[in-house]
Amino acid sequence: MTPAEEPILDLRKFSKTFGEVQALDGVELTVQPGEFVTVVGPSGCGKSTLFNIVAGLEEPDAGSVMRFEGQSVHAKQLLGKVSFMPQRDLLLAWRNVIDNAILPLEIEGANRAEARAEAQRMLPEFGLAGFADKYPHELSGGMRQRVALMRTFMFKRDLMLLDEPFGALDALTRTMMQRWLLEVWQKHKRTVLFITHDVDEAIFLGDKVLVMTARPGAIKLERKVDLPRPRSADLVTAPEFISLKRELLDAIEEESMKTFGPSSH
Amino acid sequence: MTVQANMAGASPVARRFGAVLPLLKGVAALAAVLLAVELIVILFGIRPYVLPRPSAVIEAILRTPAAYRDAIIRTGLETLMGFGAGALFGIWIGIAFSRLRFLRETVFPIFIVSQTIPVIAFGALVVMWFGNTILAKAVIVFYLTFFPVTVNALLGMRAVDEKQVQLLRSFGASEREIMRKLRFPTALPHIFVALRIASALGLAGAVVGEWFGDTTGLGVLLLQGMYAENMVAIWASILCSAVLGVAFFSAIGLAEKRIVFWGGEST
Ligand SMILES: Nc1ncnc2c1ncn2[C@@H]1O[C@H](COP(=O)(O)OP(=O)(O)O)[C@@H](O)[C@H]1O
Ligand SMILES: [Mg+2]
Repeated sequence: MTPAEEPILDLRKFSKTFGEVQALDGVELTVQPGEFVTVVGPSGCGKSTLFNIVAGLEEPDAGSVMRFEGQSVHAKQLLGKVSFMPQRDLLLAWRNVIDNAILPLEIEGANRAEARAEAQRMLPEFGLAGFADKYPHELSGGMRQRVALMRTFMFKRDLMLLDEPFGALDALTRTMMQRWLLEVWQKHKRTVLFITHDVDEAIFLGDKVLVMTARPGAIKLERKVDLPRPRSADLVTAPEFISLKRELLDAIEEESMKTFGPSSH
Repeated sequence: MTVQANMAGASPVARRFGAVLPLLKGVAALAAVLLAVELIVILFGIRPYVLPRPSAVIEAILRTPAAYRDAIIRTGLETLMGFGAGALFGIWIGIAFSRLRFLRETVFPIFIVSQTIPVIAFGALVVMWFGNTILAKAVIVFYLTFFPVTVNALLGMRAVDEKQVQLLRSFGASEREIMRKLRFPTALPHIFVALRIASALGLAGAVVGEWFGDTTGLGVLLLQGMYAENMVAIWASILCSAVLGVAFFSAIGLAEKRIVFWGGEST
């Protein structure tokens, strides 16, 4: 087996319990280098919990197996190893766009002037040209999200975790951001694990879509997306897209019904 | 495009004006009060023994400007020394408390108890310890400053968004870096609230401290005026204290506008 075929992330029997609440129960998941994997699932099923663990912020339950770049690891060994973009932008109000973007580089101990120069060069690609000196409160929601994405990209790690990055955006901005993200991803050649609650988004972006069960979360369904890249906007009307979407929606609906529990019986 | 350019041009000017505004407001308010009092005294024929005309008070100050100048400098210095040391120490202790739970749970209650001691009782002690020095007054001001600063620094650092802490940790940040890059800036607006309170409190502490014995200072002038039953002299000292107080308060307001420019609670 060549190193390129070894998964960058491999989770087996992966569980997490918070006191009485079991958030994850036996997640099995592999991500290949360079792959774009999307995760959909009903809200509260443990998607963010999964990301927090892979980002190194929480330990999984005993018995969970996590391999990262071929090595068996504890979650906290992953701190500083993956670039994590949480659900909210979490920009620092006292830092302008550039200084928010270089925050992870500063923490790594990079030269600040060089980091700033690099960020300055990246601004146009992220649609932020001319906004270097703006502060978060001067930006729209879409722009703040792009700053947060740029910050994530500047933290150059092979694995990127994006937790519903476009969840709060309006539909139009969202489709534009999706196409833009694919371009940036192809150029930067990163591995992406992407959470969304939007099935269209999951199919449009992903090489592989995972559907999670209702809490406690596990992987219910895994489907390859055999649609050509680069992907264009009219893809959403292609027959393959629609049949895949139907299958995924059925699976999600089944799980969402469980969330509503007894009332649906 | 042009609209944007215009706005970009106007905003720094507006910001600079905004920074001087508290000072202008303070001066204007003081002038308005003096003018009103002058009119009232004249209109109602109030006797100078009850309330002298502000113009007479200002005249008295101008007759011996050196005495008042020295008093302002002395009391100002006492306040500045105690205030600066108290602010730094308060922030430092606040950081220590936020980092070390053990300290927070053992020493912090003692802090609170210590603050229930009336400053007058404490002032007598300090003068016994430090003598009739400028240091004694600075210590009183210090005592009045550091506590509100400690409390607010601690509150501010604990008000931090845990998700932001987690984000920094995911970048591999140490606790020290999280303190420097996140907790401390988050606490700054809270710290400034305390500094504003402490500036008024500290000046009062310096004036009162001088009553325990000293030869120069606004508190000394007040006492001398009282013993001489000289209403004009008393009011002259009060006026100087007010000017000093307004100056302190607006200097802090100015620093606040510059340092905490993002306006506190994050959007
Ligand atoms: N730190 C925590 N302590 C206790 N319960 C938690 C914690 N984090 C998440 N949970 C619970 O775990 C479940 C999954 O949450 P989350 O991973 O945020 O779901 P999702 O992102 O899929 O909406 C929820 O029921 C939530 O209340
Ligand atoms: Mg979530």
